Amino acid sequence: MDDHLIQVLSNIGMITFIALSAYVLLLTGEISFGQQAFFAISAYASGIATAMWGWSFWLGLLWGAGVAGFAAFLLAWPTLRMRGLYFAIGTLAFAEMVRLIFEVFHYQIEIDGEMVGPNGSEGFRGIRYIFENNISEFQYMMIIYALLASVLVFLFAIERTRVGAIFRMLGEDELLAEMQGVNRTYYKVMATVIAGLIAGIGGALFAHMNTYVEPKIFNVMLGVHSLAYGLIGGLGTALGPLIGVSLDIGLLESTRMFTGYRMVVFGGLVAILLIFRPRGLLDEEAVHAIRSAWRRKTPSTRQQSEIDAPD
Amino acid sequence: MLEVNDIVTAYGKIEALKGVDLAVSQGQVTCLLGPNGAGKTTLMMTIAGILRPKRGSIRFNGQDIAGKPARMIVEQGIVLVPENRLVFRDMTVEENLMAGAFSRSDGKTVQSDLEAMYERFPHLQERSTQYAGTLSGGEQQMLAISRALMARPRLLLMDEPSLGLAPLIVEDIFRIIRELNDEGMTVFVVEQNARMALQVADHFYLIEQGKVVFDGTPGEMEEDEVIKRAYLGKKI
Repeated sequence: MDDHLIQVLSNIGMITFIALSAYVLLLTGEISFGQQAFFAISAYASGIATAMWGWSFWLGLLWGAGVAGFAAFLLAWPTLRMRGLYFAIGTLAFAEMVRLIFEVFHYQIEIDGEMVGPNGSEGFRGIRYIFENNISEFQYMMIIYALLASVLVFLFAIERTRVGAIFRMLGEDELLAEMQGVNRTYYKVMATVIAGLIAGIGGALFAHMNTYVEPKIFNVMLGVHSLAYGLIGGLGTALGPLIGVSLDIGLLESTRMFTGYRMVVFGGLVAILLIFRPRGLLDEEAVHAIRSAWRRKTPSTRQQSEIDAPD
Repeated sequence: MLEVNDIVTAYGKIEALKGVDLAVSQGQVTCLLGPNGAGKTTLMMTIAGILRPKRGSIRFNGQDIAGKPARMIVEQGIVLVPENRLVFRDMTVEENLMAGAFSRSDGKTVQSDLEAMYERFPHLQERSTQYAGTLSGGEQQMLAISRALMARPRLLLMDEPSLGLAPLIVEDIFRIIRELNDEGMTVFVVEQNARMALQVADHFYLIEQGKVVFDGTPGEMEEDEVIKRAYLGKKI
């Protein structure tokens, strides 16, 4: 496989995690401009674990995602009562706070005569685990997509269960959901933590692929993009954000078709979609139509699935 | 069954309910009348646990439920059909109905209840895979009522079920209230259409500016000069 293609595909995969993270919150009706914070937290935490503490990649990834999830859990409480615009501002402020903390975060140790670790705005160099362990770019891409596939399967599963229905109820009308007996606090915190964990997985992957992270990577534009990906791709299924990322990074950034005008084209695309398909290409109605068409075509499998799931 | 004692609910410093006392008896249809801004919806929201009262008690079958979270009140068997925000618009009819059964843990009977709802409201079955937002106002009200029934309530609260609906549909809704009551359901309904309410209610309360100002049977209400003028018109 061509190196450039591998790189593009890896990028698409990694960024999809943060887009999915924003998507989970969009499902519950909240617009977050701050998911890049969890991406950043995990990038640093996992990098510290593998490059400085000598942990393995998988342990580092788990640790990074865990720290991001815990940060999300802490953020969930003060933002619980915020809605709409206020939630957006609150999460944005949190993400900027995290970024500014990394600007002044110094924690370095000497390894083989070289200083390794986060060095404020200079960034954090030397997260070289996958190179030192001879994991090829292709292998790493497969790792990214294996993890992405697991997260997607997890989200599909959630969408089909009670929890998914509750997320959507909360997204549509929190008060009405509460009247049905939904424990709002519990499920909103749950959604925030799931979103934090997913962004965390992406952040850890990002840090190890690039070997280097610096605070300014995690600026507000990353958050804005991750939101936009879901809105472009569609909010009807977890595949939507993946479509959004593929369109942006795969088509606009990588083909150099619109060199220099990428942001113009991207912004225009968002504007057009907001008018014609406000909930994205694969919105709920499209998904609904596809599902019904699928059922009509294969009536026997439908009956089978009904027998399998007697709820 | 339900006793509301001296309930005060405030939005900030403004008291919408200034000490409301009333009672709903088991097996009866109790109707709450009152002008706009009297506090009817506030009272419903307070009983349902959406709003927290500043003072007073709400006893349901002897247990104090004032200030408890909404989900616990649903579990106790009090379910509200709210005004205006009736259905989850971007969810299908069936998903809406299932949403009503969320507080229940008896998975198997939910399916048979769903079928019973479709039998009672054949329209909903025809539209089971449609988005609830595409239903007419009357159908949405029916959906909201049947969603509430999916929770198997012991007390059904209804906040102005006839609001903004055509007269024929309003009659339908009151027919359903009577049917439910005949089957043993206790109903507490807020209604501005006093004439319709007279056909089903066993007991009336009139609330004005956050206080109960009248309490009586349909017969007593029809004899009350003020109510006659304000709520029933001159004909009666």
